[in-house]
Amino acid sequence: MIVVENITKYHSGRPVLDNVSLEIADGSNLGLMGPGGAGKSLLLKIICALVRPDRGKVYIDDVDVLSLDEIELAQLRFRIGMLFQNYALFDFMNVADNIAFPLRQGEKHTEAEIEVLVKGILEEVGLPGIGHQFPNELSGGMKKRVSFARAVLPEPPIMFYDDPTAGLDPVTSSKIFLLLKEMRDKRGVTSATISHDIQGIKDICDNFALLERGKLIFFGDRDAIEASEISIVRQFWDGFSLDELG
Amino acid sequence: MANAEQIGGGALLVWEIIAHSFPPRLDGPETWRNLYRVGVKSFPIVAVTAILVGGIMVIQSGTYIEQYGAYGLLGWGAGYSIFREVGPIMIGLMFSGRVGANNTAELGTMKVTDQIDALRALAIDPIGYLVMPRVFTMIVMMFVLVVVGDFVALLGGAITSRYLLGVDMELFAWSVITYIGLHDFLHGLYKAVAFGFAIAVISCHFGLGTKGGAVGVGKAVNSSVVGSAIAIFVIDYFITYIDS
Repeated sequence: MIVVENITKYHSGRPVLDNVSLEIADGSNLGLMGPGGAGKSLLLKIICALVRPDRGKVYIDDVDVLSLDEIELAQLRFRIGMLFQNYALFDFMNVADNIAFPLRQGEKHTEAEIEVLVKGILEEVGLPGIGHQFPNELSGGMKKRVSFARAVLPEPPIMFYDDPTAGLDPVTSSKIFLLLKEMRDKRGVTSATISHDIQGIKDICDNFALLERGKLIFFGDRDAIEASEISIVRQFWDGFSLDELG
Repeated sequence: MANAEQIGGGALLVWEIIAHSFPPRLDGPETWRNLYRVGVKSFPIVAVTAILVGGIMVIQSGTYIEQYGAYGLLGWGAGYSIFREVGPIMIGLMFSGRVGANNTAELGTMKVTDQIDALRALAIDPIGYLVMPRVFTMIVMMFVLVVVGDFVALLGGAITSRYLLGVDMELFAWSVITYIGLHDFLHGLYKAVAFGFAIAVISCHFGLGTKGGAVGVGKAVNSSVVGSAIAIFVIDYFITYIDS
């Protein structure tokens, strides 16, 4: 279980996250929604302790993440996979090496096994045979799928997906969401997904949170969000705008 | 205040580098990649710089050599200044402009595109994986480049003395061997190692601290080159004072 308590983060004197509290139950997928700049990506980075908040706590399986030293954090991060919004592919490695990188660092597989695994995941995300190419040779959608492959291949029990389908066509987006659902259903992965594809989130997420300007406007399950009368929640969930948001 | 912040940040990085040195751990592939990128690819520009520097030393002293007929001191004059000062400084500045700037740009781009965060998310320590190989390779290659550069510079001086001043290359070489001691050669190598370390720390510090997208990367590279140049002269001053 992941517990986020009263997370607050300031930037240039302004709160970019303001007293955010939520929970992600084991084996469930939390859908994180909100306008651009609401603090969604920042919240995921704080949960992984990539960014330190100014106030608040984060617990992963009852462990206070923010009190861990770098060695303990490294141990924790072996259990977390993260798909970054900007792909974060390593420019100096080709696609195959990018995907293989976490497996090689983990030292649990032989090179032959890694080669087979990399080939398999590339086929799964619809990119067979591109292992020799470098990130700068790929389109945005291809980079997103390679980044996804790198994040999921080590099979971490916790996954964070930051806009997994941005830049992808509807068919590939659907395939990616199916993979996310499979991760939860078959492997029991605990996850959080940021996406502007509300229909996709509806299909794969169990609980939902909506951030606006750093504040948590809504947190609850499907029934609660269906019944919510908060204007911005309705706009996002139902997919229409009322002039300006909120 | 901003300068104090940068100096403090650099000091913290030095501390992290020292902490990561015991026991020493280097990522093999990343180290080899940097050895090639830093060293092998720098040879051409260092060789060109060195051969010209050697020639310039001879040309500058040529008037006085001819005036006093001190042809037997030409090699000493060129060699002394090349080994002790001009060689390490010119190669250091070239190294900073080429390797240091490239290093800052690469790390800065990694920073603003979340690649550094991706490493941390994969439980990889960026200092151990990125910085340590760079520090090691930049010290080693600065040392090697100065050794090679010194002798290429002497070759440039010898060729220039032969064809511009009519001084035999054998006389030039004899002058170098007779009047230049091992201590003079080592003096320059102490500087090479110190310059390599300084350029590595400064370029990595500015690279990892980059903010603000492409503009930020440009600013970081600029700061890295300027900072490295200043560091080269400050270090040169102190080593020259202590070792003289």
